[in-house]
Amino acid sequence: MEVGQMQRRLLDYTKTLLMEGFLDGQFLQLQQLQDESNPGFVVEVVSLFFDDSEKLLNDLTSALDQPSVDFSRVDSHVHQLKGSSSSIDAQRIKNASLAFRNFCEEQNVEACQRCLQQIKQEYYLARNNLETLFRLEQQIVAAGGSIPMLEMGF
Amino acid sequence: MELKSDIEDTLTQQKQQKQEQQQEQHHFHVLAVDDSLIDRKLLEKLLKVSSCQVTCVESGDKALEYLGLLDGLECDATLSSSSFSSTQSSKQEGLRVNMIMTDYCMPGMSGYDLLKRVKGSSWKDVPVVLMSSENVPSRISMCLEEGAEEFLLKPLQLSDLEKLQPHLLKSIDHSCENNTKSNKDKNVDDDNNNCKSNNKLSKRKAMSPETPERRPKLKGLAVL
Repeated sequence: MEVGQMQRRLLDYTKTLLMEGFLDGQFLQLQQLQDESNPGFVVEVVSLFFDDSEKLLNDLTSALDQPSVDFSRVDSHVHQLKGSSSSIDAQRIKNASLAFRNFCEEQNVEACQRCLQQIKQEYYLARNNLETLFRLEQQIVAAGGSIPMLEMGF
Repeated sequence: MELKSDIEDTLTQQKQQKQEQQQEQHHFHVLAVDDSLIDRKLLEKLLKVSSCQVTCVESGDKALEYLGLLDGLECDATLSSSSFSSTQSSKQEGLRVNMIMTDYCMPGMSGYDLLKRVKGSSWKDVPVVLMSSENVPSRISMCLEEGAEEFLLKPLQLSDLEKLQPHLLKSIDHSCENNTKSNKDKNVDDDNNNCKSNNKLSKRKAMSPETPERRPKLKGLAVL
């Protein structure tokens, strides 16, 4: 596949992610911050997020499994998850975290656990999506092309 | 044509090098405080892209330590990174901070507490900017009343840093009589370049002090 085609594919893919609510404008901001001196910036931050979140999700799972749930701890974990997911623009995870926090306030363990399941699903989806995106970018760079930036105009 | 641009390049390079040497001292130095590693990384990047020197710490306590504001006893506490030189002496001795940017919600000392400590210390003239992922009007006015220069909403964008330029320049004027005009121009140029393709999906929910009542709008979510 030649570079032009790959670039178009990447743009289309990014647009899809935007339209399906996986990404919002923030991701584009992140891409703009990337430059020649630190070409792996976005990948680095996103990977950090996924590693971090995996730990958080594990912590949340065990916290909710306790006979007597410490909701303030759960809440602070979710707050962290919400914050970092919004920083790297994992919108669906962020939205699910918001819902989670409401259930925390109500101290509803079952609802929290259900929410947690949902967040985990969103987490895997987001990870797959972004990995695909980065793979596409890598292919373009390997073929000597540059990563096209999506112009927000639609 | 080519020769001319080559010459121009060389001249620009030389000028930049000279500027950098001069500005080694005059580069804005920002102390960034946030308990989230991801947010620290992002903030660091945003600041570097805006031509600032950055020091990141992960808590209010570490920030106070860096600024030399902890009580004498605690200064000897074991610190893994003693990368910053002795800060117990007055701030004039080599440590220069032009701005402090801190997260609001942090375990232990909150950004608000840090703000109060700084404003009650010898560092009180340094602009302090608070950041938060939550848009809570009462929290925002509380911080602004306590002397915060700005309250930014996360996730931060380059345009937010632009807003901070005037505060940084103000602080330079306080501490240094040298001409900082070239510095200002450089920073403005950098920002202009960076924001050339700024996205139009601007969902700026940042509150200005004049409109504390504005209801937060979350994209895609109904306003409760």
